[in-house]
Amino acid sequence: MSLKAIHIVFISAAMLMCVVFGLWALGEWRAADGTANLLYLIGSGVGFLALAVYGWFFLKKLKNVSYL
Amino acid sequence: MEIPYNVKSRPDTGLYNAKLGIWLFLASEVMLFGGLFTSYVVLRVNASAENWPHGLLNIPIGTFNTFVLIASSVTVVLGWAALKMNNFARYRKFQAITILCALGFLSIKSIEYSDKFTHYEIWFKDGHRQTGHIHQDGKKAWFWNTKTLAGAPAVKDAKGNVVKPASPPIAEFEFSPDATHYSDAAKHTKGEPAAAEHKESAHASGEHAAVKVKTADIKRLSAFVPAHSTYFAIYFTLTALHGLHVLIGAVVIAYIWGPGAKLWKTNPEQYVNRIEVSGLFWHFVDLVWIFLFPILYLL
Amino acid sequence: MAQTAHDTHAHAAHAEHHDHGPQSFWSKYVFSTDHKIIGIQYGVTALMFLLFGFCLMLMMRWQIAYPGKAVPVVGTLLEKLLGEPAKGGVIAPDLYNVFGAMHGTIMVFLAIVPLAFAAFGHYVVPLMIGAPDMCFPRVNMASYQCYFLGGVIMLASFLIPGGAAQGGWTSYSPLATQIPTDGQTYWILGMVFLITSSLLGSVNFIATIIQLRAPGMTWMRLPFFVWAMFVTAFLLVLAFPPLEAAAVMQLMDKVFGTSFFLPEGLFVGGQPADHLSGGGSPLLWQHLFWFLAHPEVYVLILPGFGIIAEVIANNTRKPLYGYRALVYSVLSIGFLSFIVWAHHMYLTGMGTKISTFFQTTTMIISIPSVIVLTCMFISLWGGSIRFNVPMLFALAFLPMFGIGGLTGLPLGLSYVVLQLHDTYYVIAHFHYIVAPGTIFAIFAGIYYWFPKATGRMMNATLGKIHFWGSLIFMNLIFQPMFAQGMAGMHRRMYDGAATYSLANGQDVIGALSPGIIKMNINITHAAFGLLIFQIPFIWNFFHSIVKGKKVTGDNPWEATTLEWQAPTPPPHGNFAEAPHVYRGPYEYSVPGAAKDYTPQNQAP
Ligand code: HEM
Ligand SMILES: [Cu+2]
Repeated sequence: MSLKAIHIVFISAAMLMCVVFGLWALGEWRAADGTANLLYLIGSGVGFLALAVYGWFFLKKLKNVSYL
Repeated sequence: MEIPYNVKSRPDTGLYNAKLGIWLFLASEVMLFGGLFTSYVVLRVNASAENWPHGLLNIPIGTFNTFVLIASSVTVVLGWAALKMNNFARYRKFQAITILCALGFLSIKSIEYSDKFTHYEIWFKDGHRQTGHIHQDGKKAWFWNTKTLAGAPAVKDAKGNVVKPASPPIAEFEFSPDATHYSDAAKHTKGEPAAAEHKESAHASGEHAAVKVKTADIKRLSAFVPAHSTYFAIYFTLTALHGLHVLIGAVVIAYIWGPGAKLWKTNPEQYVNRIEVSGLFWHFVDLVWIFLFPILYLL
Repeated sequence: MAQTAHDTHAHAAHAEHHDHGPQSFWSKYVFSTDHKIIGIQYGVTALMFLLFGFCLMLMMRWQIAYPGKAVPVVGTLLEKLLGEPAKGGVIAPDLYNVFGAMHGTIMVFLAIVPLAFAAFGHYVVPLMIGAPDMCFPRVNMASYQCYFLGGVIMLASFLIPGGAAQGGWTSYSPLATQIPTDGQTYWILGMVFLITSSLLGSVNFIATIIQLRAPGMTWMRLPFFVWAMFVTAFLLVLAFPPLEAAAVMQLMDKVFGTSFFLPEGLFVGGQPADHLSGGGSPLLWQHLFWFLAHPEVYVLILPGFGIIAEVIANNTRKPLYGYRALVYSVLSIGFLSFIVWAHHMYLTGMGTKISTFFQTTTMIISIPSVIVLTCMFISLWGGSIRFNVPMLFALAFLPMFGIGGLTGLPLGLSYVVLQLHDTYYVIAHFHYIVAPGTIFAIFAGIYYWFPKATGRMMNATLGKIHFWGSLIFMNLIFQPMFAQGMAGMHRRMYDGAATYSLANGQDVIGALSPGIIKMNINITHAAFGLLIFQIPFIWNFFHSIVKGKKVTGDNPWEATTLEWQAPTPPPHGNFAEAPHVYRGPYEYSVPGAAKDYTPQNQAP
């Protein structure tokens, strides 16, 4: 697997982590309010979107590099 | 003697030697961290909720560090891509950011560590427990444990010179307890009402005024060091091992970036390979953190 | 390709001069990056450790046979070196524990694996696949150096106050970390170096086998030895790291006072261990340990299979029977060995369901092992066998390994283990596999490849004396242990179970009869006999390096595999001309061929 391939894996994992973080923050916020938790929730959503956009840009830019 | 496929890929496998080598090495690394993650699960499943500290790590700082590492992975790849397009200057810039990110991560981590080494838990003989800070001569005390309170005789070397002066026993000390204890949350899930702010981390919730604590009332005292609990044991083991990987990765990348860059002139293909191989390692290190962060900070 | 030996020789010598010019002694023999020199470094160091581990055992055997009597010859030396624990030359219980733990550790991690896997692997594998060297020569050098450092740490730990580790080679916690001496800390540090070494080595092996096969050397043309090494390397890469993780955690327990493997409410020496947080799991250590240590036993035996296969094919002058079956068996052994580990833990109370699972996988893994052994037996059928020294060892390997393997089957069954767990039966079982098994394979390999490495033959008469003496005494040592174990005699008892002897007049159930106890003495005598019969080997080995009969060609055994087509001894860079492979590894006695062997690189 080339650096390109593992980078895609990595970005997907990071997106997944944003989802987990978001769900966690949602749970905490529901249970006990707190502005910090709301911020985490929004932050993880933004992070997820940013990573998705970056990932798309990355795929486009490195179209010609092989996965192996 | 020339070893085949050191630079060029072998046609039937599609790999050059170092790429295969690093992947095999990473496979073993997966098993290494896999062993530790499994241990985490086993220890956690065995622990009662009161004995598994929760919410003691600083989430904003942890989150920030996570993004530092993600950014560093991005710059590694962009640097590599730039080099593939023969843009050496751009590669230099990106990779410099990577190295700075790595150093930033490590400094932040060490601040987090020192925070823990000055933060304490006391198990009182009457059964209740408190976390907080200990002050000695107006400064935060580091690394105390139950034995510190008993004092220690002077340590002498073979010639009789005093290496470490004797420390007198401590009968009483100043302690500023945190507003909540992490086991409150555990009680709460059992249906007892809990203080409203218990969800905030201990830092955010502020401290009560300092009180005097008598050594005679204490069953056990420990800073948030590995010996504190199996949680901190696995926390420090995992993050220290991960930190070591970050450090090694940073040194290797910095070497290739600095003195090793001569190779770009003589053998550009091999140089790009080196960037790729170090980048693969770097991605692995970051990937480990992506898993570490939620299980240590959030869960 | 059909060059005469002479030609190749001249070529190679020429090539080497061009490449390197004269090298200093240090860069040529000590800090070498040549896979062959590294192989020899491994081999010589590991042979010394083998002897050392054996000597530890001899002293223990003395103590078992004659509890409380001063060790003859070396008793005073022991007292001088180790002080109190060897007072008056007598091995105290603690010292017995030290020796026992270190015998196991040294034999497994510093002697057998480095010999069977690292030494032969480094020397032979690149030659067999027609490569100029390994993929990463400098990593290779680092691998040996880590091994060496690990060995030094283990040896140094004997001399610290309190001596080396005492917790057995398995180092079970809490025992291992609660013993108040520092031996265990050294043990862990030493292990970290050894693990690193094997990691570096095995990554290199796998990469080399995948990347550097000569043109035409397809997977199914690889000699079986290479396959065995390939699988072994995978076991090492994947199984060792969890032990490294466990070692790090045990180090934390020992040095930083954590409780990874220490449960709540632990008492040490009658005192509650209040200063500890508790909450850890002793079972966790056992799982992590055996997750390595079971694959490790296959690391101990697979290279042996590989060596024996080469020697048998060569000396029966016919192709190995069932090459493909052998390859697939060894692959499935590799895979299955990762899911049998808890058969070492039936008596830990981990539950009957888990026991049943591991019992099943254990029975399954015996199938490919039996296939391997059967293929090798059938390979003998109809061969015109040459009974030279390597072949004698190979022939003895088969039944010896057979005994070890068959006696292992009962140990895979949880209810049988109720009786046999931790008895001398277990000791006998696994020693049949590693001692007359793997060690015989190692001897076979040494006698077989010696002429390639040195250009001289080892003396055959001395070799035969060595062989027959070793065969007889090995059996005299280990056969009685089966009986002792079935009678219930436990391992790791420093007085050889004298406490449980009927002679003490106790009317206890399970007390051991005089006959069983007396075997201790016979076994010890046999162990000394085994030592005496190693002397011809040691002499033969060193004497033959300088004075042995010179080989007349590059291929004294008339073998087909590529290492014999290289110059003797092969120069740095190996082949005079990069070989091209045209055929499978065992084309012996092919009907219609000019000779009774056709080298792999001979063009059709
Ligand atoms: C050929 C000479 C050898 C003899 C006479 C011998 C004898 C013994 C005996 C009697 C024990 C049991 C000691 C006790 O429980 O108190 C033992 C333990 C052991 N031996 Fe050997 N052995 C030999 C070679 C080897 C080899 C080649 C290996 C390599 C793998 C090995 C590995 C072990 C291990 C792992 C233990 C268990 C140590 C422990 O209890 O922690 N031995 N040996
Ligand atoms: Cu096993």
